[in-house]
Amino acid sequence: MAEQVTVHRPTLASKVGAALSHPVVFSLVFAFALGWLIVYLTGRDPGFAYSEMLNGAVTGSGLRNTLGRAVPIIGMALAVSVAFRSGVINLGGEGQMVVGGLAGALVAIYTPGPGELVIPLAMVAGGVAGAAWAMLPAFGQTRLRLPILITSLLLNYVARAITGYLVRFHFLDDSVTLTSTRQVPEIARMPRMPIFGGVSLSLALVIVLVAVAWVVYGRTVSGYETQMAGLNGRFARYGGIQVERQTVGVMVVAGTIGGIIGTHMIIGDAYRFIDGELVVSGLAWTGLLVALLAANHPVMILVAGLLFSGLQIGGLAMQRNADVSWRLSQVLQALVIVAVASRLTFGWFKRRRTGPSEGELEPAAVGEV
Amino acid sequence: MTPALELRGITKRFPGVLANDAIDMTVRTGEIHAVVGENGAGKTTLMSILFGLFPADAGEILVRGEPVRFSSALDAIRAGLGMVHQAFRLFPTLTVADNVVFREEPTSRGLIDRSESIRRVGDVAERYGLAVDPTAVIETLPVGVLQRVEILKALYRDAQILILDEPTAVLTPQERDKLFEVIRRLRDTGRTILFITHKLGEVMSLSDRVTVLRDGRSVADLLTADTDPEEIARHMTGRDVDLDQRAPAHQPGEAVLEVTGLSATGEHGRKAFREASFEVRSGEIVGIAGIAGNGQNELIETVAGLRPPDEGSISLNGADITDAEVLTRRSAGMAYVPEDRHGVGTSHRASVWANLLVGHQRDPAFQRKGWFDLRAIRDHARSLIKTYGIRSGPIGAPVSTLSGGNLQKVVVAREMSHGAPLLIAEQPTRGLDIAAIEFIHDRLVRFRDGGGAVLMVSAELSEVLALSSRILVMFDGRIVADLDPSKVTEAGIGLYMTGAHEDGPDG
Repeated sequence: MAEQVTVHRPTLASKVGAALSHPVVFSLVFAFALGWLIVYLTGRDPGFAYSEMLNGAVTGSGLRNTLGRAVPIIGMALAVSVAFRSGVINLGGEGQMVVGGLAGALVAIYTPGPGELVIPLAMVAGGVAGAAWAMLPAFGQTRLRLPILITSLLLNYVARAITGYLVRFHFLDDSVTLTSTRQVPEIARMPRMPIFGGVSLSLALVIVLVAVAWVVYGRTVSGYETQMAGLNGRFARYGGIQVERQTVGVMVVAGTIGGIIGTHMIIGDAYRFIDGELVVSGLAWTGLLVALLAANHPVMILVAGLLFSGLQIGGLAMQRNADVSWRLSQVLQALVIVAVASRLTFGWFKRRRTGPSEGELEPAAVGEV
Repeated sequence: MTPALELRGITKRFPGVLANDAIDMTVRTGEIHAVVGENGAGKTTLMSILFGLFPADAGEILVRGEPVRFSSALDAIRAGLGMVHQAFRLFPTLTVADNVVFREEPTSRGLIDRSESIRRVGDVAERYGLAVDPTAVIETLPVGVLQRVEILKALYRDAQILILDEPTAVLTPQERDKLFEVIRRLRDTGRTILFITHKLGEVMSLSDRVTVLRDGRSVADLLTADTDPEEIARHMTGRDVDLDQRAPAHQPGEAVLEVTGLSATGEHGRKAFREASFEVRSGEIVGIAGIAGNGQNELIETVAGLRPPDEGSISLNGADITDAEVLTRRSAGMAYVPEDRHGVGTSHRASVWANLLVGHQRDPAFQRKGWFDLRAIRDHARSLIKTYGIRSGPIGAPVSTLSGGNLQKVVVAREMSHGAPLLIAEQPTRGLDIAAIEFIHDRLVRFRDGGGAVLMVSAELSEVLALSSRILVMFDGRIVADLDPSKVTEAGIGLYMTGAHEDGPDG
């Protein structure tokens, strides 16, 4: 059937309206508007605060710092999204990162040899350790019916405790007052790329990981099967997808990424494994928020990760220069997520108010017109 | 005499669709008035507006000549309307009496008077000949009784106009006949009944007058005595329909599916079905009849590989598949149209092509070493859409944008497209309109005529009778009868379905 298509020339207003109706754009506008109000109510100049935040995030060393911080945020977001997209609620990113980070750090510190060898070896060790840690809740779910949601979350505390013990009693560096391992030798540190004032090579690694995820989801049987399991488990089983076996595989991938990112945080950023530092940084949880904002889409994770990283780095500059607490960044991050989440509720609310939720109307909207 | 109910120019628009287009309808006091129409004709919208669930964009409603404006179902109830929904709205853990008096509880000194409510509910039930025990707990009652409880709820609130939305969809023939008796008795006490259905047999046997809706408009208002099913069907579909085509008998060939002594456990650790043995041969359709919950669904799930068997064996084309994984069964030649097309047969948020692919994502035609041949997948999807006349947008759009009938076509197209010798079809036409039912029946018959073996489960006895070469009846987890459809009636099958086969006319 040929359909007549009328071409509208969109006006500026209609373009703005259309953009605002997109949940993510709406949530960003909403968060920054509310943030503006908050700053205004504290008697400071919101315009100045925001411009300092922006300057701090993208000018001078700010850009390098934003890109640097984006590495773990994007990486952890990718790790969590791989699980979420397959319907596996993995909240153990933090533990996987911590365990992987210590394993990677130890390999980097104690393995002699050239960087070309030690750095990849440390990454592999971190990935394997993260994956092994992630398999605990995976098998817990498939063998013992313990929900991953709970076990993976609780194992974060266990990971923190075990690594803390190992550092304190077996790998402690006595020369400093920190509960910390020795420093990673210069030769085993992640090199920096000669762009944006020296960004860690890990940035390239993360971008490659994002690209791989994008290709896997778009073009492979595994990508298809994991996504089908994430969208509707009963449908996936009906279609012959072995959801249990897949759960383990997905957790291994998520844990590997988490472990690699943890290793990067040591050999590319802090240069020593300090007990609790990876936990306090909240990177795994920022990654979770980014994955939510990006709706688990790899490329959108790249964008959202840069945004949140910029917010955090810019927030520090804002505090220095505009005397507005960097906590405003956290408030903005939270507001964005609240808006993204409640947008769903608005839609639900609207449906309830204006139309029936079941019966013959929905089909008619497509089938009979 | 003022009509009980009058609708004038009721119009309701939803985004992209005019659900009700200036509908006029007059319902006289004390008549049984059927409202018929295909899915999407606007029946449910009209009744929802009438019952105050959402407002009309235009038009007015008159109850006994008085214009009314309902902003909620409570207003409608106060005006003397009562509605029995398709899906029952009852508290499963409470008693019949508690459910009926909910929000209108008799009290004594500010406390709910339980014995008074049991007495009152018992009174109402007795007055209208509704056999219900007021003290029974809802979750222990069969569906037919639940429906009576819903009717009781309306009568307890003294509803003068009773709206029944597709009330027979869940009933056995015997329960249906009892319901019809109740409805007639209610009419005889001066109440007015609005009866929504798409089954023409019910319209003819029950109603006094019938309004036909099509595409949101009221296209006919007929006296039942002056019309016939063909005329109503013509108004419903806008064309001539052949209502009674029985599939001609066919010479079956080799056994394709053999099930021997199969048993499996259900959700609550109870045996869902036991010692099921039967075979399905090529060129025949074996129909399984039974009231929902008698083990049919679990039997099919077990054969399809979604539920582990406790004992027994399943073989497909001579190969044992008792413990085979789903993909193995599929590549061995099993296709499966599941009962729950929304929750199992399709994935709402996945694209049309992804839905058309599932079960065959590892076929060499669509992938090499784990890499998709996206062109082949898209071509396959497009050709299915064309062959099966699926009305769909772009194949990358979520399948939730399709109507119920088109969604089922997606499932049927996918399952029939791989040349599997065995097709399991569970409730293949439930909830579909006449055109889609005809289409799917035609496809099933063609599949059979091409040498396919079909195992069909249907709650629709007319469907089982029309299509099957043999009919198996399940009751309480057992196959209690193996019948020749040319030698049984609906009522005869109905007796087996309720376990009363000792007195069955054909048993």
